[in-house]
Amino acid sequence: MSSPEDGSPEVRTISEPVKLSIPVQSDLILLARLTAATVASRVGFDVEEVDDLRLAVDELCVLVADGVGAGRLNLTFITTGGGVEVVCTLDNLGTAVEHDGGEHGERDLSVRILDALVDEHSQEFENGQRRGWLRKRSVRHEHS
Amino acid sequence: MDEAFAVDEREAIGFVHLVVQGELDVATATALREHLYAAVDRGRGPIVVDLLAVTFIDSTALGVLIGTKEHSDQRGIDFLLVMEEPRILKIFEITGLTELFSIAPTVAEAVNR
Repeated sequence: MSSPEDGSPEVRTISEPVKLSIPVQSDLILLARLTAATVASRVGFDVEEVDDLRLAVDELCVLVADGVGAGRLNLTFITTGGGVEVVCTLDNLGTAVEHDGGEHGERDLSVRILDALVDEHSQEFENGQRRGWLRKRSVRHEHS
Repeated sequence: MDEAFAVDEREAIGFVHLVVQGELDVATATALREHLYAAVDRGRGPIVVDLLAVTFIDSTALGVLIGTKEHSDQRGIDFLLVMEEPRILKIFEITGLTELFSIAPTVAEAVNR
């Protein structure tokens, strides 16, 4: 495997979306972080941007799964010209409750973190479906 | 590979020194809360939470730290944080929590403030 001569990370495309489906289980959210870091590295994000996306995806999962004791989180990672889009949905809302903001404002903290780390994000809770979405572009690509 | 989550209490004179390591997230939040609340409830003096070996922190863990600070404030116990890793400090900055917590880069500086 070779890297560009200027030492910058090798940029490769991922032609197909990367999909991950995990049970709503706290110790499995790290799989979402791991996937986020892998995809971000693959499309040429620098170390800080990889860390940012890793945390942002964690927060997206926490928001979408908030208050839910069962079900599956479905994540789709799409690479788009120097950026990554992530869609997170929740299956099985039988035990879901409305977001209550958390005991110490964790939901507000999540939103502040997402505001700071990604370019765009949204969360929807309607028609029995929870959906979170975010988009992050690499600064390197924005300047090229 | 990141170190596994753990909380250890180290010998210290005049304060309680808790060393936390690993990833602080929704999976470890309950255990973190139990360790921190137990230290506050023992009431042996100021609590210094050393986060120098923490490799990841999310909003769930931040909520635990906020809750523990409120718990310690109610008992008149100082609750101090130690961190210097920029990527961890950045999370406290973007959430505005550098205003809430007393944060120092070393344990010695934390206890001498």
